[in-house]
Amino acid sequence: MTERSKDVVVEKELSFGPVHPALIEPFRIRLFVNDEIVEDCELTINMAHRGVERLLEGLPVERALLITERVCGICSNVHAWNSVRVIESGLNIKVPERANYIRVLINEVQRIASHLIFFGHAFEVLGHETFSMRSFLLREVFMDLMAYIGGNRVMPSVPVIGGIRPRADLTESLKRVILERVDDFEKKYLEFVQRVLADPLVMSRLTGVGLLSKDEAIKYHATGPTGRSSGWDYDVRRMMYEYKPFDFNVIVLTEGDNKARVVQRALEVIESLKIIRQVVKNLPEGPIVNRDWVPGKMDFTTMYFETFRGELMHSYGLDSQGLIRNYKIRTPTPTNLAAMEKACIGDHVTDAVLTIASCDPCLTCCNRVEVIESGKTRIMSDIEIVRKYGWRR
Amino acid sequence: MDPMLFIAGIILSSIIATIIAVLYSLVLPGIERKLQARVQQRIGPPVLTPGWWAVLKFWYKGKAEPIAQMPLFYKSLIWLGITIVLLLFLFSTPYWWVVLGWGSVLGIAGFLKLEEVLYVLMGSQSQSILTTSMPINDLVKGAKIKGILREFVEQHSAERALKMMAIGSLPLYIALLVPFVAARSGMISDVIRVQNPVYFASSWFSLPLPSNPVILTVPGFLAAVVYFVGYLILLNERPFNILKAKIDVIEGGVLEYASKLRAGYYLMRNLLLFALSSIFVTLFIGIPFDPFMPLCLILNMILSLILPIAMAILVAFSPILTFRQIYPATVGLSALGVLALILSVSL
Repeated sequence: MTERSKDVVVEKELSFGPVHPALIEPFRIRLFVNDEIVEDCELTINMAHRGVERLLEGLPVERALLITERVCGICSNVHAWNSVRVIESGLNIKVPERANYIRVLINEVQRIASHLIFFGHAFEVLGHETFSMRSFLLREVFMDLMAYIGGNRVMPSVPVIGGIRPRADLTESLKRVILERVDDFEKKYLEFVQRVLADPLVMSRLTGVGLLSKDEAIKYHATGPTGRSSGWDYDVRRMMYEYKPFDFNVIVLTEGDNKARVVQRALEVIESLKIIRQVVKNLPEGPIVNRDWVPGKMDFTTMYFETFRGELMHSYGLDSQGLIRNYKIRTPTPTNLAAMEKACIGDHVTDAVLTIASCDPCLTCCNRVEVIESGKTRIMSDIEIVRKYGWRR
Repeated sequence: MDPMLFIAGIILSSIIATIIAVLYSLVLPGIERKLQARVQQRIGPPVLTPGWWAVLKFWYKGKAEPIAQMPLFYKSLIWLGITIVLLLFLFSTPYWWVVLGWGSVLGIAGFLKLEEVLYVLMGSQSQSILTTSMPINDLVKGAKIKGILREFVEQHSAERALKMMAIGSLPLYIALLVPFVAARSGMISDVIRVQNPVYFASSWFSLPLPSNPVILTVPGFLAAVVYFVGYLILLNERPFNILKAKIDVIEGGVLEYASKLRAGYYLMRNLLLFALSSIFVTLFIGIPFDPFMPLCLILNMILSLILPIAMAILVAFSPILTFRQIYPATVGLSALGVLALILSVSL
């Protein structure tokens, strides 16, 4: 037994992963506990380095989409869209308004699908199989919609440079189908959310557990639903011109516990439904893609985006032949997990794993940083960098 | 009774009871899983798959040596567990009631306690590669806190099992006392005599129905509810499965059992599921599992479905509770059990 301070006694270490039946993706959790109470936590996430940025180096920019969309399976559209936003911004390519509407539509459809995956996973971690399976059942509506719009349930491949693919254009019958499916979903979803919120056993597990204050959320740059459920009113969609035509609320809760992180996402789904309805009802006529551009030299350009888990950054430049140079991607998971390392302190061991899962970590798309320290090159995970150097944009 | 006749009777009844109990208990998990699946709008597995075919499959799987501090001891715990559960069940059948006086509340409670101790022993032995011994560079990088015990999750599960032994299963033992207090005796035979007086005078082909089952009284009903929750705790089922919570301690102490040992574990768990259900029917409804009275035996088996069915429905709607919730829940249930116990004095 080692004493760290007068108040904190750490009795033992419990470690599990990266291979563990409850961890969907590979990461190592080390919990330093006193009996059942977590006194400290360490997460290691550098287990799935896929070299996406290296693969992108030197590719013609038009081909980048093939890889950027595959950075993540759950938020594939987000990476594809932000990747094309970089070049559209760098080369001043004007995107038709109709294309922007459809890009927003597919993004919100995928946001709902992602949040429902979160519910499915969170309830599975909570041990509530029925709610978990119900979440996945509800999600099917949006997987189908992605297939109807983009032709594929997981990789809809809607955005291209200058607009969207022709197959993703909305017909009148498809608009009708979307509205019908969304209306039907909303009824079932509201019933489901009410049942979850009225379940005393589930609420007793979520309430007051995994507390993350607003200051800590800002300090560790816990963006997206994680930060917004701790009272940090920050949503990149407010700054995106693509979202200007739409009326929606940014859901901000102040409790900062696991319940808030679940409720925040539950309410955000309702806002996404609002946006989907606005897109379908107000979809402007006109072209869907602008082909009037030529790849050429582009300075390093960085674009930020509100993905389903928080702030996403894509940054790259083009050389004179239009080939990609120095592609950088930063996903929200490393900073969110760094915040969760703090949030789970004081929880029971079983609750701590739930707290870590409550930031909806997506690990395979976030391990790619190489750091040169004292002349020596060393691969460091993003979370190590945040821990060591703090966060800065 | 002639001693030789008694010994022959006890051997025959044990063989019949064991065969029927094992075969029937392997159907129960299938019913349980099917019900859960229907609640979750799924088709679910075929009824015989989770019990029968799972045990057969594991029985013929390739041998995998468990990683444990004392592998031989760890492996023997499964067979010890099956023996304990089988004895628990046999002592609740009529021919065994008089043997050593263990057909009593003390016999049942003693065997159940032994069964609980098994999880502590299993947890303290198992050392799966999924946790501390996983070859990963976290210590090379530098431990955040140095010089402390690095515990296997199974050992943590053993600590949880110890806590559950101390407080978690208390309600079940209190509830167990109620039929005995109502009968003013510690023996199962007296409990049956009070609830089902015609049983002892019935012929082998008759169906003696209880005239005053304790479950139909207020204290009996309260005790039955408490028994049901204790049943979930003893079977480590949700919401009380903290000692085998998948998200941290995975399967707990039974994690390293594979092939024949895994089949043995399933046998033990399913047999316990049936034994506790059958004991409930015997003590609270007054219909014992009598291998020499077929109708009585069949009725006991049918009524033994009550608890697994109720459990399947509750499990489908429950998350895992942590000790934050388990402590108040068991204290509350124990209080309810004590109330039932006090009320049962007036019966």
